[in-house]
Amino acid sequence: MAAAFLSTLCGTLLSVCITAMAAFAVTLIFKTSTTTNFAQGSIAALGCYVTAELFGAYGVPVCVGVIPGVLVGVLAGLFVDIVIFRNGRNVNAVGKQIITMGLVSIIFGAIPLIFGNPESIPFEPFFNPQKAGVSPNFIIPAFGGEIVVTRHSLICLAITVVVLGALFLLLKYSKWGLGVRATASNEFTAELMGINTHVITAVSWGIAGALGVLAAVMYAGGGTKISTSFMTTVQVNAFLAGILGGFSTFHGPVIGAVCIPVAASCVGFLANFPAFSGISRWNMVIVYVLMLIVILIRPQGLVGKPVAKKV
Amino acid sequence: MTTQKKNPVRDLMRNPLAQILLFTAVMALLQVLSSAGLISSSFVYALGNTMIYAVIAIGFCLLLGYSGLASLGTAGFIGLGAYAAFYVIQEFGLPYTVAFLVTLAVSIVIGVVVGFISLRIEGIYLAILTLGLAEIIRNLLMVIKSTVKIDLSNVKLFGIQIGDREAYFLVLVTLAVLMWLLSNLINSPTGRAMLAMKNSTSAAQAMGISLMKYRLLAFVISTVFAAIGGLLYMMFVRNMTTATSTLLTLSTSLNILGAVIIGGAKSPWGTTFGVFIIYGIQSMFLSKIPFFVKNPAFITMVTGVLIILVVMFFPGGFAQIFAQFTGWVRTKLRKGAAA
Repeated sequence: MAAAFLSTLCGTLLSVCITAMAAFAVTLIFKTSTTTNFAQGSIAALGCYVTAELFGAYGVPVCVGVIPGVLVGVLAGLFVDIVIFRNGRNVNAVGKQIITMGLVSIIFGAIPLIFGNPESIPFEPFFNPQKAGVSPNFIIPAFGGEIVVTRHSLICLAITVVVLGALFLLLKYSKWGLGVRATASNEFTAELMGINTHVITAVSWGIAGALGVLAAVMYAGGGTKISTSFMTTVQVNAFLAGILGGFSTFHGPVIGAVCIPVAASCVGFLANFPAFSGISRWNMVIVYVLMLIVILIRPQGLVGKPVAKKV
Repeated sequence: MTTQKKNPVRDLMRNPLAQILLFTAVMALLQVLSSAGLISSSFVYALGNTMIYAVIAIGFCLLLGYSGLASLGTAGFIGLGAYAAFYVIQEFGLPYTVAFLVTLAVSIVIGVVVGFISLRIEGIYLAILTLGLAEIIRNLLMVIKSTVKIDLSNVKLFGIQIGDREAYFLVLVTLAVLMWLLSNLINSPTGRAMLAMKNSTSAAQAMGISLMKYRLLAFVISTVFAAIGGLLYMMFVRNMTTATSTLLTLSTSLNILGAVIIGGAKSPWGTTFGVFIIYGIQSMFLSKIPFFVKNPAFITMVTGVLIILVVMFFPGGFAQIFAQFTGWVRTKLRKGAAA
């Protein structure tokens, strides 16, 4: 049983990585631009389409094709901040949300226009086990059973740890990180202190776009069918992870992003016991309800600090 | 101060009831013209569909524009109404009025729950939390029944058999009645209390306005409107596949939010116009232009660009654009009269 449980947990590794990346991106935007970026998922899909097109039409392997994809994500993010947000006339937080929503419409329209509307899009993981002629799974014997981990999820775990680790270090020690933290606490004061908040928000949008595309490529590499809206579920989970962990810190949403898929797989695992055999249908309902309860008890999130309100 | 000349026509047009009656008459006329074969039936069908979203959006207008509360749970509440309609009418064979009452009861309960949550959690957190609630409802409904379909052949309302045309009038009358109720509410002490609450919760409380009472009320009303929208959807469109339909996903909640913002959050008529821009313009006009028929993807792009431009340059939405335009025309006319 222990081995089966560990296998289940390893099965969620990929979705943990993807949700964590998306949650970090959402938090970065939320803190620097005080808005929720609803276009996060569609920008990610756009970049992923670029990678898929390079792979399908020109045979560029995904581990190389991901770079132009990520660049497209960066450009899309920069476009939102520099062209749209900066030229808007006193756009408030809700207005920014609506702008990102309008962006979703534009990208949803643009994708079939640029890439056509194929039934299925060929894709491969970063490391294609079929080409290399090795098994896609690692099997570790332990606890009198076997723990199955896919190669792809291990590679993705490594990428996520490196990328998010580097970003956290940058946030803590670099000038840019200091700028982000200052902008997050108060944009106006940060500007008075000589921080170029325009550059800070623009770079944050670029990074968010890149993280989104990276997550999308990892998700598609795991065998999910690519479509214009295939990142929507991830995006919704990332938002929920944000409030579960608390938007007041940067690591809170990432912790939340680990909790949601793990909780889902734990609930799903209960189906192995005869008493809960029908539970897997109610999987997401139970997880969301649990999350709702946690948030009602701790509105500031799992690791967040309560925010004092100014009158 | 210039003395205003009495203008009975203008005074009448400022009366909300007269506006609503005019709107209803025009919409009813379009349906009659369609029956006579002068307008294509697909146009009127799209119009009816748009009016359903207008019902949902004007409820949201009260929540966002007057109470300052943001919610992304609209889609879930629509689902509740749609499923209530399905179970009451199709499974239990009860009349429409019962379905209406059940929808009302369910949505009031949910509205009160969300209202209580809103006392504890605010702002963007509340919006995301209601998004979570909508996801719960959507997953729940999907597990309960994946496809709902209503057969109207033996559904009667006040002794009238409901068909395509009757469903259109049902939507129209519901929209008109709700619009009238809402315009009365907005101009009542309740509406002013909500506005005070939106501008400053502390100041409102200091003036003796109970946050709990008005937040609950705002959420109950907007939830009821959304659920009625779901009920009307089932009467008008009659089937929905929950797993594949986008009606119960985040995109609907966002579109309703978008319609309210680009229409002008404090104006029910502006909101109705915003709904028309987001939902109606595609199916009614753009799909007739050959260029867009050939490239349907451009339609979504045009809507997106339009939304972004309005939010970027007219934060007050279409209500502001209209006000500026009529002001401009009036000054031109006055100058013309003086010269």
